[in-house]
Amino acid sequence: METLLLEKKDYEAFITALINWCEVISPVKKEVVRFKKIKNPSDVYLGKNSFFPVKEFFFRKKETIFKFKNNKISIPKLESPKRIFFGLRKCDLNAISHQDKVFMETVKDPYYISQRKNSYLIGYHCNEAPSKYCFCESMRLKDFFDLMLYDKHKDFFLVEVGSEKGKTLAKKFGKYLKRTDNKVSLEEKKIPGADRLPDSNIKDLYDNPGWQEGVDKCLSCTACTALCPTCYCFDLKDEVKARNLSEGERVRNWSSCQLKEFTMVAGSHVFREKREERFKHRIYHQLDYFREKYDVDLCTGCGRCIEGCPTRIDFVDIINRMKQDKAKQ
Amino acid sequence: MSEEKLKVGFYGITGCAGCLLSFIFNEDELLDLVKLVDLKAFPFVKEVNPSDSFDYVFVEGLVASNEDLKVLKELRENSKFLVSLGACASTGCVPAYRHYTLKENYEHLLYKKIKELEDVNPTPVDMHVKVDYYIPGCPPSKEEIKTFIKKIVRGLQPKPNDNPVCVECRRNGNECLLEHGKPCLGPITAGGCNSVCINGGFECWGCRGPTTDMNLDLMIKILKSKGFDDKFIQDRLTTFAGLKLPMLEKIMKK
Ligand code: SF4
Ligand code: SF4
Ligand code: SF4
Ligand code: SF4
Ligand code: SF4
Repeated sequence: METLLLEKKDYEAFITALINWCEVISPVKKEVVRFKKIKNPSDVYLGKNSFFPVKEFFFRKKETIFKFKNNKISIPKLESPKRIFFGLRKCDLNAISHQDKVFMETVKDPYYISQRKNSYLIGYHCNEAPSKYCFCESMRLKDFFDLMLYDKHKDFFLVEVGSEKGKTLAKKFGKYLKRTDNKVSLEEKKIPGADRLPDSNIKDLYDNPGWQEGVDKCLSCTACTALCPTCYCFDLKDEVKARNLSEGERVRNWSSCQLKEFTMVAGSHVFREKREERFKHRIYHQLDYFREKYDVDLCTGCGRCIEGCPTRIDFVDIINRMKQDKAKQ
Repeated sequence: MSEEKLKVGFYGITGCAGCLLSFIFNEDELLDLVKLVDLKAFPFVKEVNPSDSFDYVFVEGLVASNEDLKVLKELRENSKFLVSLGACASTGCVPAYRHYTLKENYEHLLYKKIKELEDVNPTPVDMHVKVDYYIPGCPPSKEEIKTFIKKIVRGLQPKPNDNPVCVECRRNGNECLLEHGKPCLGPITAGGCNSVCINGGFECWGCRGPTTDMNLDLMIKILKSKGFDDKFIQDRLTTFAGLKLPMLEKIMKK
């Protein structure tokens, strides 16, 4: 992998050059950190990861799938804005790669693809876990980025080039991204403090009573799935006009497996009626079911579903405890 | 759509007329909405209101007098489907709060002064007649009323929103007010209001009533852990959810 060097004295000029080239979105700190379009290099906040995930820029919260009028269907014109996402952490970059699998490989979802295709991903590698809930190191993540900044030296960043798009950026911003013989070692790619789920295989734990403490503390509020950078479930509904009931649009909205509505079918039968089943479903989808299909865990260990849960249900702790109890037996 | 339009009525018993206004506030589509149905009766805005038979009758308000009960029973008899419109009709809302206080606390304010007033227990509509659909909220969302009408004229069955307010709140990217120590009832309250209060910085007071899926024990525990006392919690829980929270006293003791 090609490695370049960005001097810290050039950092602001580099960000300014990015902003002059296209829209740049990065973590911004207000009361909490969230991804926002930035105007100045000083808007970028790298002290902590964003509390809200970046997925809403690709898998949007509300999407008009098509409009209909009488018997005609029209697909809205899909824009593909050129955008740079700056300051993405490893967990979130991998989360994008997992959503890419769902929306670009398994199916070709034009709405996701249009938002994603002209987007450039520039990462910022965590020197240590920025939150006590992180466990990315346990999730066997890959290098997935266009460019990745490593902040290991006082005066410069090392920048890895991870894709064709990365090469385009390296060329375009060659003034700032300079040649170097330095390499980022495997040791330097480790993230201390983010390996708190040593064994994520939960196949034989489904009926373990250890889940109950989580279930009892669950409100089925969907904070976890909304904040998760990988959760990709949605709901579809038609909205019609009063002046012509055959005119309207079909929209999709984020939905969640934590809701009874999620598995409601005709006749109002709900497949996952019990909170326990819904609670486990999310975790099993993240750590087991997705792997069966895509050979990788869906979860990337970002910890948001724990940090953002109103009762801080820590499924990592729960799994570890069940494993320990089992080992004792 | 069938040739014959659905015969519809909008009525209010004891209430503030806010729910009826919610329907009227659909200015963008109001005239088209009215044309979709045969709006036979709407005493709030119409002079002539034949009330012999309806397909759907929307009832705002709760039963707080013998007259209310008489009107309600007649409406029920004359309509195929009865829709409980708004919080008073659906949960009892603020008026039903009377059940949680002693008679001597309110009697002198009104009933002792105006002797003609009968002191009838204020109770939601479904404690007296069968209700087919609920459109909850104080006031109910105008969008929801609109969608309801569009559904019934297409022969579809309106489905109540049973997801907690948090679903829309999270989708709207709000910061959770529980984290700021506010007593937000979003997790146990049925959504459909687009989390309008939280979007504006106020916690949810539960005006749309509880979801069938609520974890009430846990909600109370959370509020206690934030430092709210039993009296506050009971008051807040019952302000809008009225008589629709089960066995509150028992739960409070836990
Ligand atoms: S955020 Fe926590 S309480 Fe809410 S649904 Fe998820 S696990 Fe349950
Ligand atoms: S399941 Fe939780 S820890 Fe895993 S990616 Fe989603 S939010 Fe992050
Ligand atoms: S999960 Fe890993 S990559 Fe993500 S913020 Fe935490 S330490 Fe960084
Ligand atoms: S502010 Fe209230 S409604 Fe919004 S997520 Fe938090 S608890 Fe739920
Ligand atoms: S946020 Fe709560 S109180 Fe506000 S309108 Fe919605 S249900 Fe009612």
